[in-house]
This record gives sequence, structure tokens and C-alpha cells, in this order.
Amino acid sequence: MPLKAYLVSLTLAALLPVAIFAGVVAYFLLAEQRETFRQGAEARTLAVSTAVDASLNGSIATLLALATVPALEQGDVATLRDRAHRILATQPDWSNINLALPSGRQIMNLQRPAGAPLPNIAQFDPLWKPAVEARQPFVSALVVGPVTGQWDYAVRVPVIRDGSVKFVLSAVVKPGSMSRLLEAQNVPPDWVAVVIDRNNRIVARTVNPQASIGQLASQSLRDALARSPTGWFHGSTIEGTVVYTPYRRSDSTGWAFAMGIPAYAVDAAASYAAWMLVVGLLGAMAVAVAAAYFVSRGISTPIASLAAATDAIGRGEPLHIAADPTISEVRTLAHALQESARAVRERQELLEREKQALQAADRAKDEFLATLSHELRNPLAALTAAAHVLKVSDPSREAAIKARAVIERQTRHMARLIADLLDIGRVSAGKVGLERERLDLAQVAGNAIRTWRGSGRFERHRVSSQLAPVWVDADRTRIEQIVANLLDNALKFTPAGKAIWVNVHAEGDGAVLCVRDEGVGLLPEETASVFDLFVQGSHRQGGMGIGLALVKRLAELHGGTVWAASEGANRGAVFTVRLPAVPEPPVQSSAAPVRRAGGLSVLLVEDNDDARGMLQAMLASSGHEVRVAQDGASALALAAESPPDVALIDIGLPDMEGYEVARRLRAERGGRRLGLVAITGFGRPEDQERAFDAGFDAHLTKPVTAERLTQALAGLP
Amino acid sequence: MSQIRNILLVDDDADLRLALKLALEAADYLVVVAASAEEALLLQRRRPADVLVTDIFMPDGDGFEVIERFRREFPGTRIVVVSGGGKRAKQDYLVVAQLMKVDATLQKPFEIQALLETLRSL
Repeated sequence: MPLKAYLVSLTLAALLPVAIFAGVVAYFLLAEQRETFRQGAEARTLAVSTAVDASLNGSIATLLALATVPALEQGDVATLRDRAHRILATQPDWSNINLALPSGRQIMNLQRPAGAPLPNIAQFDPLWKPAVEARQPFVSALVVGPVTGQWDYAVRVPVIRDGSVKFVLSAVVKPGSMSRLLEAQNVPPDWVAVVIDRNNRIVARTVNPQASIGQLASQSLRDALARSPTGWFHGSTIEGTVVYTPYRRSDSTGWAFAMGIPAYAVDAAASYAAWMLVVGLLGAMAVAVAAAYFVSRGISTPIASLAAATDAIGRGEPLHIAADPTISEVRTLAHALQESARAVRERQELLEREKQALQAADRAKDEFLATLSHELRNPLAALTAAAHVLKVSDPSREAAIKARAVIERQTRHMARLIADLLDIGRVSAGKVGLERERLDLAQVAGNAIRTWRGSGRFERHRVSSQLAPVWVDADRTRIEQIVANLLDNALKFTPAGKAIWVNVHAEGDGAVLCVRDEGVGLLPEETASVFDLFVQGSHRQGGMGIGLALVKRLAELHGGTVWAASEGANRGAVFTVRLPAVPEPPVQSSAAPVRRAGGLSVLLVEDNDDARGMLQAMLASSGHEVRVAQDGASALALAAESPPDVALIDIGLPDMEGYEVARRLRAERGGRRLGLVAITGFGRPEDQERAFDAGFDAHLTKPVTAERLTQALAGLP
Repeated sequence: MSQIRNILLVDDDADLRLALKLALEAADYLVVVAASAEEALLLQRRRPADVLVTDIFMPDGDGFEVIERFRREFPGTRIVVVSGGGKRAKQDYLVVAQLMKVDATLQKPFEIQALLETLRSL
């Protein structure tokens, strides 16, 4: 059900009790009004009725005055007649005066000459006898006078002398007097005032006065008079007009007065008020319903427009609300919807960004895997070819020697590739801790250049360096990684015969390492992205895309920065690392002599034949005395025979873990000096920590180079 | 078809170049190596080889361009393409090379025996 219908119903429901109450009040008001009207009408009826009595009583009084004339007592009819004529002349409505004996025999009648035969009154007036016996004046009914031949009535007064009725004086009166009396009442023209005699014949009437005289009163009036001498009834006139009628019959004369008031006159005021009430109520209801309709439109329109606008939420578009709603709840709703639309939009945008990031990461991963596969295929192809040469050639021939060199370089290359791969993951995850020491950046760079030159990696390029000592507080291994990766990058992207420059110097409070080449250069947009993981310039193919990323992260780990610059494609590139410089340390006289340069008794514990052979050869070539064991038990047996100075122990032995071997050796050594070096395939910090916990002094990650082995032995306590 | 003797080996990886040269020489081929397309063309003009063994990637030029230029200048030279795969995961340069109707393709790393058999079959 729409809101409008609810509001309209609500309004009607609120109005209904008011309407009922108003109806009840109106009913009582109407009843009150009708009662008031009735009382007024009855009072007026009483007044007119009294006037009618007074008029009749006036005639009686006049007759009583005539009765005191002495001529009556003396039987002087002629004098009486004369006096009566004079009175008749003063009473315009009287038509006759007569005098009769109590028997009804007339002895004087002014309408007849004296001596003329006269009818007996008792014969045509039924009231005569009882009235004479009662000795009271009375008014006769309306009759056609036997003398006048007209409708008239008589007022009769018994004349009492010596305790008995001697005569009866009568005045014959024309009904016109009553008509004038009614006219004097100023009754409204549509009302019917009527005077009737004791026989209910109409004496005077305001409507149709001439035709009505002598007629019987209406049936309803006669019925009402039969029920009660005084009252109020609802009936109809002789003409059939529906009237309310107050009436009253006089006790003294027996005559009655009634006043027919048309029903519409009584009801007009009431029905007018009722109509006004109905119209007013209906009008009020119409106004209320219209108001409710417009108010509901004011409510429902903004809600409907909100509902329409919310479609935008589903589409992830902003919620447009034409006008700020004036209803505070709707405004709150609108604002909540706008908020939720914004939230939905933001979430969609976030999802879209995440999706794009995931897709980008996925692409990067695919490219990384492709590049990794490419990077592994070249060294593997070289190793395969070199192994083939070793298989088919005399080991002493130059070809075999070159093939071995190829194998050595390519294994080292792959080892560093794998180390870089692991490192970039660990650096990215923040798992790399720096073992800082104060070192000369120039010295580290110089060592790297010497090593690379010695291994022949610079033979196709012109590599030169300019190195000024500058000290940094850094992890030596990581700085070596930085230098190696920058050199590797320069070699990879510089054609044969072109030049590469390495420069280390102090600049302000920084130590700067600069590697410049005459290689393929960088496009302007590549100078920033070249340090991103797995990103390669479009014209820089063949790299893993991790070397420079590792350089950047390692430099940042040291609180340094790195940037690249190029004048464009094939114009060369400059890669610069800047680290915070520290003061040069005081010169130490006993600067780490290589105490164990040779001549140590070394116990080598390694189950892999190739690794054991290689390490044995390295140790032997450095002048150490080497004993070998393939498992923990035989190592412990050899140590028990003759304690070594140093034990190199592989962690993954077939019978027990290298940690266990170290613990037992350490336990059996007592106070004697013993250097323990762990060899593992893992270089994670937790592996190193576990090795140190087990009593190892140093930790080497496979593959072990001669250089690192020498360093490890030199670093033993 | 005359006996194949002279081979021009082109790859930008020095060690791979060296190892393949040694392996082929051990099989009595005469091998000349080049690190780039430019170098390869210069060498070929000086002394044409019977077979060109080339990587598809090189620093100064798309390997496909090298193949096209050899086709034009030295139509008699056989071409063997070796590749370590593309930078894009779904690109296979060897398929493209086959479409260019080279004489043979090899995916790195390959057994030397396979290369020798390929050369013998030409």
C-alpha cells in the first residue's frame, strides 16, 4: 500500500471520532433548539389564548353592566331596550342583544320590533339549560343565528335577583372580532393561527379566514384536544400542510387557540445547521485528505527518488540526489546511501586496483619464470658442452683445461644466481640482518675487480678503476654483492671492446660507488624502473631483473640510495650507489694476521664425494694436513685417534646431524682449542644461529669457494 | 652434398661460445665464433662457413634479422638455431624460427650428441 494511502487513511481515522462527536453535539443542539422553539411557541399560544379569553370576558363584563339597569328589575322593557340599543351601538362586533326568561322564552330582541314573535333560545342552544342552572355567564358555540342567519356566537349572562335566575341577557357577537384579534398577533404569513369554539368549529383563522369560519378544525387538532386540553403535536392542517402545533383550550370559555407552524419552519434552522455541519465536515475531510496527499507527496517523492538513485550503487556510480531532502530522516537516509555508494565505489576501485596489481604480479611472475629459465639454460648448455669436452678429450690437453675453467665459472655464476634469488626474497621479507663492520669501500671494490680480472671475466672489455679510500659501516658480504651485481650488469649490457669505469670516492658525508659503461644505455623512462624486481628495459634483454633490484634494496638496508642515469639508448649508463660515510678507524698494529695460512690439521666430514674431493683439494693446496670422513661416527673415531685443529662438518650427514658431531667433538675437547666450521646448503639466519648454538665458530654455505674457505679458516679463534 | 667442415657459431655468452667451440672442435669441425650479428656477418664475408649455429638472442640485434641477412647474402649456408627461450613465457622463438624454414632448431640446454647428429644430418 503506498504511503499516500496510509497518510490519507490516517487523516480520515483521526477525523472520524471528531465527526462522530460533532454529530452527537449537533443532535443535542438541534434538540435544544427545537425545544426552545417549542417553548417560545407555547408561550405565544398561551398569550393569544389569554387574549381570546379576555375578549370574551370583556363582552361578559359589558352585559353584566347592562344587567344592573333598574329598568330590568322594574320590568320596563322599553327603557331597557333603549339602553341596550345604546350599548349595541358602542360594540361594533355585536350584532344583537336579547333578554330571555330562564326557560329560554325571549322577551326582548333588538333585531325584532317589540311584540314580534321570537324563538325559544333553549331549543337551539344546548348549553342553555346547564348554564342557567349553574348560574354562571357562558359563551355559546358558533351557530348560524336564527335571527341573523350568519355564523355568530352568543355571550350570555344570567341575571340573579333574590337568589334565583330571573332573566338571561345575551349578546350576539360576530366572529370578525376574533379575526381581528388574530390579525393583531402578527403571525408569520405561512403559519396558521386558529380560534375554535367548544365544538371545535373554527371561529377565526389567519389562513382562508372567510371559507374556514364554521368549518370543523383539522382532524389532528381535534384528536389532540381530545387527548389533552393543552399541548404540542405534529400533524397537518385542513389544507394538508405539515405543521407543528401548540394549542390550548380555555377552562373558562371552553374555546381553544392553536398555532400551526409549518414543519419546515421548525426544521429549517435545524436542517440548515445540519447541512452546514455535514458540508463543513466533508470540507474539512477533503482539505485534510488533500493536505495528507500533498504531505505524503513531500515524503514519498524524495524517498522514491532515493530508491531510483540507489540503482547507481549497484552500478558502482556516485549517488546523485537532485535536492537535499527537507525531512531530516530522509536526509539522514540519503546521506547514509551516499556514504554506502561511496564505500561501494571505493571497494570496487580497490578491488579493481588489486586485480590489476595481481595481474601485473602474475605477468611479472610469468616473465620472471621465462627469464629464469633462459638464465639457467645458457649456463647449463655451457656446462653440458664443457662436460662433453672433458669426456672426449685428454685431460692434459688445453681444451680440457679450458672446459674445466668454463665449468668453474658457470657453477660460480649459477651459485650467485641462486644466492641472489634467495637473497632478494629474504631482503624483500625483511629477514636479512646486517653484520656491520667498519670497512673501506674502495678496498672492497678493488678486491672484487682483482678477483674478476683474475678469473678472466673482463677479457672482452676495457675495465678501469679509480678508487679513493672512504669508510662505511656495512656488511662486507652485502657490499661485495652490490659491487658484483653492478659489475655484472655493466658486463652484460656492454658490447665487447667497450669500456667500463669503476669509481669510489667521498662526496660530502657520503661514500659513492659509481659504475659507468659504454653499453646499450637506458631510455629516459627506464632509469627509475630498472631497479624494480623482474623489470627489464625493452631493449635490455637477457638479464634476470633481480641484480639491480637487489642492489637497490641492499643499499637502502644500509641507509643508502642508488640511482641510474643515461644519455639514452646506446649512449652508456651510470649506476651510482651512495652510502653514509663514517670516519676512518684507528690503525690496528695486529691487523688480523692469517694465522692459519697453512699447516693445520683439518678433519673434513662430508658424505658427498664431489664436494669432499673439491674441498680436500682446496685445503691440501693451501698446505693443510687433511683427513676425511664420510659420516659422523667415523669422524668422531678419527678425532679420538688424533684431535684436529679444525673440523669442517657438513650438516646433512647420513648417520647423524652435523650439529651432533660438533657437540660431541666440542665435549671431548675439554679446554683444547678446536675450530669448528659448518657447511650447509642453506644460508638463512636461523641456520647460522643453530650452527652457532651447536658450537660452530663459522658457517659456510655451499658452494664453498677457495676464497671463502680461506677467510673462514683465518677468522677462527 | 659436400662434407660440412666449417661452422660459424654466434652467441653472446662467452663461456657457452667457448664450450661449444671446444666440443665441436673435438668432433673435428673448424669453428669460428662471433659474439654479435655484425661480427658474424663480417666473418662470413671474409670466409664463408657451411653452417651458421646461432642463438636467437644477441645484444646488438634480433636473431631473426641475422637469419634473414644470411638468407639473402649466403643462401647456401645452412642455419641451425639454438634458443634458451623467450622473455615472454608464451613466446617460443624456436617455433618462429621453424616457420622461417631454418634447417634445424635446438632448445638449450642440449646434449652435444644431439648437435653433432643434427650437423651430420644436414
